[in-house]
Amino acid sequence: MATMTLVQAIARTLDEEMARDDTVVVLGEDVGKRGGVFLATEGLQQKYGPDRVIDTPLSEAAIIGAAVGMAAHGLRPVAEIQFADYVFPGFDQLVSQAAKLRYRSGAQFTAPMVVRMPSGGGVKGGHHHSQSPEAHFVHTAGLKVVSVSTPYDAKGLLKTAIRDDDPVVFLEPKRLYRAVKEEVPDEDFTIPLGEAVTRRQGGDLAIIYYGTVAPEVLQAADELEKAGVHPEVLDLRSLMPWDKEAVLEAVSKTGRVMIVSDAPRHASFASEVAATIAEEVLDQLEAPPARVTGFDTPYPYAQDKLYMPTVTRILNAAKKLLDY
Amino acid sequence: MIKDTQRFEPFTRDPIALVNESGEWVGPFEIDLSEEQLRTLYRDMVAARLLDERLLLLQRSGKTSFAMEAAGHEGIQIAIAHTVRRGFDWLFPYYRDHGMLLALGVPASEIFGENLATRADPAKGRQMPNHPGSKKLNAFTVASPIASHIPPAAGAAISAKIRGTGQVVVTTFGDGATSEGDWHAGVNFASAQGAPAIFVVENNRYAISVDLQKQTGSENLAVKARAYGMPGYYLDGMDVLASYYVMQEVIERTRAGAGPALVEAVVYRYGPHSSADDDRLYRPREEVEHWKQRDPLERYRRFLEKQGLWTPDWESELREAVEGELARELEKAEAAGPVPAVWMFDDVYKEPLWPQIEQRRLFEEELGA
Repeated sequence: MATMTLVQAIARTLDEEMARDDTVVVLGEDVGKRGGVFLATEGLQQKYGPDRVIDTPLSEAAIIGAAVGMAAHGLRPVAEIQFADYVFPGFDQLVSQAAKLRYRSGAQFTAPMVVRMPSGGGVKGGHHHSQSPEAHFVHTAGLKVVSVSTPYDAKGLLKTAIRDDDPVVFLEPKRLYRAVKEEVPDEDFTIPLGEAVTRRQGGDLAIIYYGTVAPEVLQAADELEKAGVHPEVLDLRSLMPWDKEAVLEAVSKTGRVMIVSDAPRHASFASEVAATIAEEVLDQLEAPPARVTGFDTPYPYAQDKLYMPTVTRILNAAKKLLDY
Repeated sequence: MIKDTQRFEPFTRDPIALVNESGEWVGPFEIDLSEEQLRTLYRDMVAARLLDERLLLLQRSGKTSFAMEAAGHEGIQIAIAHTVRRGFDWLFPYYRDHGMLLALGVPASEIFGENLATRADPAKGRQMPNHPGSKKLNAFTVASPIASHIPPAAGAAISAKIRGTGQVVVTTFGDGATSEGDWHAGVNFASAQGAPAIFVVENNRYAISVDLQKQTGSENLAVKARAYGMPGYYLDGMDVLASYYVMQEVIERTRAGAGPALVEAVVYRYGPHSSADDDRLYRPREEVEHWKQRDPLERYRRFLEKQGLWTPDWESELREAVEGELARELEKAEAAGPVPAVWMFDDVYKEPLWPQIEQRRLFEEELGA
């Protein structure tokens, strides 16, 4: 058992998977000699060589598109997009090629590949280094989507994603890359997609979240506890598929629910969860489901820490739910 | 192994042609194909033309929604099918390549099945007409977004190189594709990696209605290869023998490790872009007639006749045989019956996720199943 940061867990897992399966290759900008701008691929090229850790041209369309062709041809590519904000030149490759290859060919051709990307704000990056674009991917049938917030989950879910036979978009909250250390078992373990994890148990209200907002959610939960309110806190971890059962159970248990995410509110993943709750367990609700999200503006630079849900925003939402 | 004598030069001023319009061989070397091989090239071009006509007829008779004619493109398409190693090399075709796939060995019943969305379609009726593919023959299923298959082709070629499989990857696309960002992304990456990728533009001078002068300021498309550090062959794609020999040489050099190449095959599409297009709005009839005089089938027929390999009787026999085969294959495709409605929920993922499972249940209720 070693203690490590989230980004170290990613690098360690890539190493383990490349050692286990020689069809696993890594490609992206600066992933070779540089080890990735966040060092998520540190040391891999020295160990596995430039054929398996490929420094690509500066082109997200080339990275994602080539990964599709490699995957169809028999490799298991893990592509790195330097920032989730830069995925859009490769968006057509994800949406038109990766997501639809199995479907459009009647499963003759498939794209078992992972597209890793650092997402979310909190690093003073302005709107082109801070976005959380998960809704685009969840909206695209054919893609699976993961959003981790801990080193342990990063290892277990990245292994699952690499071994999965469908394309997986793997979102890594960049502000959490080095924010926390955690013990991660040395042995091989996987976490199934679509399984949420309960971070706190309580019966007064449910807080559903994923990714970047983890620190604020957990701090708000602690403050609620201090005030005598017991929240049930659920980290979704995987967004397609997502753990509907666990969400509905938490809602039924508490009758009050908020969904917290730093993505803009309109047509967001939080909205999907809220709508599902309203459709399926309306009779269990004591208050309307609350979405605690980023704002419907581009991600601002000066208000970096104020755009994403703050502890205050979460506590205000909790108060409204409890007072309803 | 590369032959000591390289026959063709890249970046020629005029398209490389080996048979002139009267059907005379003008090549600087001896033909080394057997009579059988020479005849088969003709047979496959005729089959491609007749398949094309059949597909258009299916659309005109209301049996399918759409057709995309490829008449005029047969020279380069059949040459590619005859110069790759079938079922070993990979092809990344575009939506006008059904004749090439037929010659490659894709059963016509599968192509008809795809156009009619019957169970004969290995892709289960998921795409509009003219989007075939075949895993068995390593022909990557066609996708509509122009040039979106170029980066995947580069990826497959890089994979072949990494694993030392000895395969080459041949990618085809129209002239309009060369304007897309994804085209640059894929060609550039393949070049940087020295991957065994061959990019073939079937330049018919029109991207729907937009002619080549509006598409690029380059003197031709072959010259674009210079900037990517690869040879660009400027080829008469309506000359099947020139296409055959150029593709053979390019494939050989790429297979031997010389890296990617670009081939511009000059062709002309006789029909509109698709059954939803009216090309009278943008092309003078005289221009179409002019190009029809250079028809790949007719030019090659003259050639065969001069070689003593063609007679009117053989032509009738050949056409009758191909027509009969296509009719049987079409019958097979129709007899397979329409794909079941619930198949729409399959193959989104390897196993359906809960949204597909729930929605399929709702859909079945709607159908009253």
